[in-house]
Amino acid sequence: MNYTSQNQKDKKEMIKTIGVNDVSELFDVVPKDLRAKELNISGGKTEQELLNCFSDIASKNRVLRSFRGAGVYDHFIPSLVGEITGRSEFWTAYTPYQAEASQGTLQTVFEYQSLICALTGLDTSNASLYDGATAIAEAALLALRVNRKDKILISSALHPEYIKVVKTYLESKAKLVFLDVSSFNGTIEKETLDANLDENTAAVIMQSPNYFGVVEDMQVMSVVTRNKNSLFVAVVNPLSLGIFKAPGEYNADIAVGEGQVLGSSMNVGGATFGFMAVKKALEWKMPGRIVGQTFDKRGNRGFVLTLQSREQHIRREKATSNICTNASLNALAGCVFLSGWGNYGFKKLAEINVSKARYAFDRIKSLKGFRSKFGKDRVFFNEFVIETEKDINKINEVLLENDILGPLDLSNHYNVLDCIPVSLNLLRMRMSFKNCLLFCVTEQRTKCEIDKLTEILSKI
Amino acid sequence: MGRLLNELPVGYCPAYSLDSDIEINAQIPENLKRNLDLGLPNVTESDLLRHFTNLSRKNYALSTTFYPLGSCTMKHNLLVSERIAKFNNFTNLHPYQNSKTIQGVLEIMYNLEKDLCEISGMDYFSLQQAAGAHGEFASLLIIAKYFKSIKQKRTKVIVPDSAHGTNPASATLAGFDIVSLKSEPDGSVLPEKLKEILTPEIAAIMLTVPNTLGTFERNIHEISKVVHENGSLLYYDGANLNAIMGVVRPGDMGFDIMHVNLHKTFSTPHGGGGPGSGPVGVKAFLDPFLPVPKIEIAGNEFVLNYEKPKSIGKLKAFFGNFPVLLKAYVYIKSLGAKGLKNASEQAVLNANYMLARFKDKINVPAGNRCMHEFVLAPKASFKSAIKTLDVAKRLLDCGYYAPTVYFPLIVEEAIMIEPTETESKETLDSFVDVLTKIILDEASSEPQKLKDAPVNTAVGRLNEVEAARNPVLRWK
Repeated sequence: MNYTSQNQKDKKEMIKTIGVNDVSELFDVVPKDLRAKELNISGGKTEQELLNCFSDIASKNRVLRSFRGAGVYDHFIPSLVGEITGRSEFWTAYTPYQAEASQGTLQTVFEYQSLICALTGLDTSNASLYDGATAIAEAALLALRVNRKDKILISSALHPEYIKVVKTYLESKAKLVFLDVSSFNGTIEKETLDANLDENTAAVIMQSPNYFGVVEDMQVMSVVTRNKNSLFVAVVNPLSLGIFKAPGEYNADIAVGEGQVLGSSMNVGGATFGFMAVKKALEWKMPGRIVGQTFDKRGNRGFVLTLQSREQHIRREKATSNICTNASLNALAGCVFLSGWGNYGFKKLAEINVSKARYAFDRIKSLKGFRSKFGKDRVFFNEFVIETEKDINKINEVLLENDILGPLDLSNHYNVLDCIPVSLNLLRMRMSFKNCLLFCVTEQRTKCEIDKLTEILSKI
Repeated sequence: MGRLLNELPVGYCPAYSLDSDIEINAQIPENLKRNLDLGLPNVTESDLLRHFTNLSRKNYALSTTFYPLGSCTMKHNLLVSERIAKFNNFTNLHPYQNSKTIQGVLEIMYNLEKDLCEISGMDYFSLQQAAGAHGEFASLLIIAKYFKSIKQKRTKVIVPDSAHGTNPASATLAGFDIVSLKSEPDGSVLPEKLKEILTPEIAAIMLTVPNTLGTFERNIHEISKVVHENGSLLYYDGANLNAIMGVVRPGDMGFDIMHVNLHKTFSTPHGGGGPGSGPVGVKAFLDPFLPVPKIEIAGNEFVLNYEKPKSIGKLKAFFGNFPVLLKAYVYIKSLGAKGLKNASEQAVLNANYMLARFKDKINVPAGNRCMHEFVLAPKASFKSAIKTLDVAKRLLDCGYYAPTVYFPLIVEEAIMIEPTETESKETLDSFVDVLTKIILDEASSEPQKLKDAPVNTAVGRLNEVEAARNPVLRWK
């Protein structure tokens, strides 16, 4: 296909106006010996051919009933989300540089920021970041900028991909120390934090619910952290905040996380968005775009990109970050998603996740050959770890035959990602989670599906 | 005046609700339980639909008007790409599915990498980065790791003052110090000047070709030679790739590493500020340092390879912004080799046509020819206290989105115009007529009209100074 507009007559006139004989003359400045040969790229397909061709390719993927989470979740997406993000006035607009002609984007970002603040209980949100992993890395960088210390303590129960990204961003800038996770409780113990926290600690990064699905006592960790004048960074699942303590309630300085659960499809893990909210005192140190309210001459309320003197297009090498494009359309999905539940409905959504996961947990752990990995009083949101003596590969093979995406094999997963920094630590994680499965149950799974899962498991 | 979400009427029944087929029983211990009010709006579906639909109508967008933002390549976003990206067998996949069950995804990523290599002349690409600046950051980490691997201490990166602001910001984030290079008035780099600052500490120079004034770097041979003789690497900022597809390849020009913005050259929509995608291309010697995982073929199957011990690691969770990659790949398959070259030729033709119509009336610092974009320096035409900002706002009143303004920084009161290949001659003509009239006539005869602009938009000119002085960043 060809999407250029000019007919031959127009082209001729344009060439004449420019004062050349043909288009190729416009490229005379490109040295002859550098000119490309004809590219070896297939294509030139019509729309109909493209639809057929990509239907064929898509059919090589399999859509499964998912009992797997680990950072990406199958959640219900209300129809309104697609309706709004599908409006071309939103998806074909650029970053809102001309405020007066971009009030749609700007106001929705302002509303998004407001909703993220309400959810996290913090003062200021930015307009979004690439994803949860990069949001955590940016939070760590922010902490280094604020208090000029050089050590960051990180929960080993942080998602291993997030750990890997944080390492990529910060390895050369800070000393990263990983807090061991208790294999009995599936959480980081206060004593572990006490033992590692010192005057040089810029920030402590804790995830709750953590990678193993367990809800951490963030209040306790936050108090300990702040007593040493370090920043407390809470990595949270925004859906879980319908029922679990908000970062603002336990005095976190920064809340970050993955926004995929707020209205974005799984999309093999991207595109999603990362969110970041901070205390007022940190807002000038934040990375990324921020939208603020203002007025025009006649007193009409409007919205603009603001606090821009933090940003790369003005500050260049002195900017708080290099971010320009973020994940605006996914953040819009998050905004529309959060706007339609009401307090009661949003809390209920979180409760359904807990209840269904709890139901599945109770069923599975009572099967012969399966048991809960952690002590029984652990609180979880929608993921839990089960230890089994059965052949894990066999389990997932059989489930796949039934179009079910089974739980994640934790021992193998740490092998693949190889991302806990100290090899001793890695070895320990691998040993601790040998024969362990990470299950995920969201509101999308029906009782019938959960029963079927347990039935299949019972027969293996 | 528009209302905010929390100012909408409280509905009897909010837009969404769910029931559970399992008894809801979620006892939460007091120390973990939320006590803070959620503070979410309680609005009906019909009110929300109106609210967001009306907001969308306050946007100028590519689907409603000409959007000639320089360096942003606002070309038509293919509708068929959007449709394909919504296929259930693409959207509803989990990244940790067995790779045997996402062969279609891996096939697309594998083939897109091959096509990007062919277009750019590089040997390998990583598709993981989420935006152009993210690609720059990844590239600079790769450069740092490369020099570490050959035990050379190189701590500085050269950035021309005409470069995008992300260049120095990304290089700093990657731990480099910046050496700023003064460009020539047409934005180009003189090899002799470059040579003077090429010390043994220089790891790389970041070049934008064509540069941000829209001119091709005519000394690229010589630049490449002096940079490599110094043992430094040559980095290509591929935000501006739209002029050169099928014409000339960064790999052939001597570049060692580059990034490309799929949300610019390859037609994927910008979404009001993302999601984007910033793949990084390298010559073979830098391949070991690319992020993991790499998509490879083993037997007759696509697999994910994490075993790259020298890799810089991961830049983002999982594999990248897959829908954006998919849309870019659909675009490439739609156009093919001929279409891509044709797109670049037409983009350059359109830009030169506009330039030709402007050049005798308004100052153009970089001369009579350009590649895919060009910069006007209207300062000399302004008789009164008119600024480029006023011109931009007046353009909004005339129904156009404004071009990029005040960039590149080396041109005072700059207006940077990039028409792209998908605009008709009629659109270009009317825009040239309107902008010329604003700068040459209205700015003198009716300056107040420009100062008061815009009046035809959802709101009048907004007070940005006040917004930053007393920040209100959420509803209260």
